[in-house]
Amino acid sequence: MTDLTRRDESVIAPPATPKLVRLHPFGLDGARTAPISLATALVLVGAWFLVAEFRLVPPLFLPGPQEVLAQFLAIAEEGYAGATLWEHVSASLFRIFTAAFVAASLGIPLGLAMGLNRWAKGVFDTPIEFYWPLPPLAYLPLMIIWLGIGEVSKIVLLTLAMFAPVCLSAQAGVRALPIERVNAALSLGATRWQIFREIVLPSALPEILTGLRIGIGVGWSTLVAAELIAATRGIGFMIMSASHFLATDVVFVGIGVIAVWAFAFSYGMRLLEAWLVPWKGKL
Amino acid sequence: MLQVHNASVFFPARDGRVVHALDRASLDIDANSIVVALGASGCGKSTLLNAIAGFLPLSDGSITLDGRPVERPGADRGVVFQKDTLLPWKSVAENVALGLKFAGVPARRRRERAEELLGLVGLDGFADSTPHELSGGMRQRVGIARALATDPKILLMDEPFGALDSLTREQMQELLIDVWARTGKRIFFITHSIEEALFLGTTVVVMSPRPGRIVARFELDFVRQFAAERDVRAILSSPRFAELYDEIRDIVHRPHHAGPHHEGRPQ
Ligand SMILES: Nc1ncnc2c1ncn2[C@@H]1O[C@H](COP(=O)(O)OP(=O)(O)OP(=O)(O)O)[C@@H](O)[C@H]1O
Ligand SMILES: [Mg+2]
Repeated sequence: MTDLTRRDESVIAPPATPKLVRLHPFGLDGARTAPISLATALVLVGAWFLVAEFRLVPPLFLPGPQEVLAQFLAIAEEGYAGATLWEHVSASLFRIFTAAFVAASLGIPLGLAMGLNRWAKGVFDTPIEFYWPLPPLAYLPLMIIWLGIGEVSKIVLLTLAMFAPVCLSAQAGVRALPIERVNAALSLGATRWQIFREIVLPSALPEILTGLRIGIGVGWSTLVAAELIAATRGIGFMIMSASHFLATDVVFVGIGVIAVWAFAFSYGMRLLEAWLVPWKGKL
Repeated sequence: MLQVHNASVFFPARDGRVVHALDRASLDIDANSIVVALGASGCGKSTLLNAIAGFLPLSDGSITLDGRPVERPGADRGVVFQKDTLLPWKSVAENVALGLKFAGVPARRRRERAEELLGLVGLDGFADSTPHELSGGMRQRVGIARALATDPKILLMDEPFGALDSLTREQMQELLIDVWARTGKRIFFITHSIEEALFLGTTVVVMSPRPGRIVARFELDFVRQFAAERDVRAILSSPRFAELYDEIRDIVHRPHHAGPHHEGRPQ
């Protein structure tokens, strides 16, 4: 009883620099992983260096880091296969961006519609479920026959690869919507459109962003296939043409460039997520 | 007046059988009254409330609000849910004003009204917090403010304080009585605490399960007494309170049979 009634000033006044605490998270929840990742990268590069240095693998198969770096600088300076490094990179970026834009602006609305509407789900389920497990290389010849060897066939190929994850995740986002939230909005007088705008869309947003992230990842991994189609520019093209001459170091440069850009994209998406859905996992 | 007349609900169960969740329930909720539905788990309380809210169509019977049949959810019936359903991406004030936004009220006016309502439920200064920065009891208060924002004709509350500790619960009960006394709203309130039912209800209906039906009805005035005198202790220690408590306890714990309805009307 005395605990309740006692007014102990030292308890009530906070210390000058209070120790700030927060809930123990489950999983990672923003814990710093960057130093660990950096250390891992250093270890991997070190191992690579040692393997190459002591000729455990012939240099034709595995050039050392110094050689790759030298080749990178050379390509950055003089270009490779008739185009500068930036021309290769920008050609690939343009394709990926365009495809991501098209895939998102078709896939998100369609996915939401499929989560909400019987007809949309019924009509589009079969074609999407049918095409999306197919490897892009399998329908590549069709793209060439139907759409020719220009930019269009490359972008369509990438779009098809990115579309499915975006569309499926938007659907999943709608399905995960708790019915109480909808009921609460209905009893506050919301119209169907208001429910969609104020409840469905924000509720599905975390899943949509995850889908976009996966989609862009799939896009990068389809890039080389897309640039098999009579390209003269592009990182994927650069890798393919280097492989014809067994220029392993150039292949490594290409892989490195793709990895760096893919990482940057992924990081950007994470920032976007932190900005758009700061509440994720909190309620 | 809200009138529930012979409302019955049958649910299809998974195995193909039929669950008789509500059996010919009749209920009037007048102006200035708090009707409390009390009963064991699974006796159809939420089913009744969902039907009144318009989330659930009736198998049989009718529900009318001021003479007009209830068919779908609407802003004339504010609902406070057991689990809070605040939107995590909106601030507390935006959550409170959600119904006003749906009604097309301009932003400045919404903000004013939200702050006014937050004051009413004792949350001044929390307008710009996010829901996950609030405690369970505070969120429930935001839920009440949100339901009041559109000025509904009736407030429907499904075990709104069920998840709260007893101290907060008492505070919330008193807060609800204040809100009721000040706004004169009709309230339909679900609980499985006999004490809460006695304290809050101007009418208490006791329900029994399988099939869910109303088995007893009591007209009370403890809540009016509290609103006038604000003395909890006098109410809880009054012999009438203890008497009714035991009587209701007996009904709730009595083995149920499909006999004629017991209509207790002590008054
Ligand atoms: N959607 C549904 N489908 C099938 N049966 C249901 C459904 N909803 C409720 N029921 C059944 O109807 C009966 C009444 O349920 P209801 O939710 O109204 O109970 P309750 O009185 O609110 O219980 P509690 O106090 O536990 O919330 C229960 O037997 C339940 O199993
Ligand atoms: Mg219930």
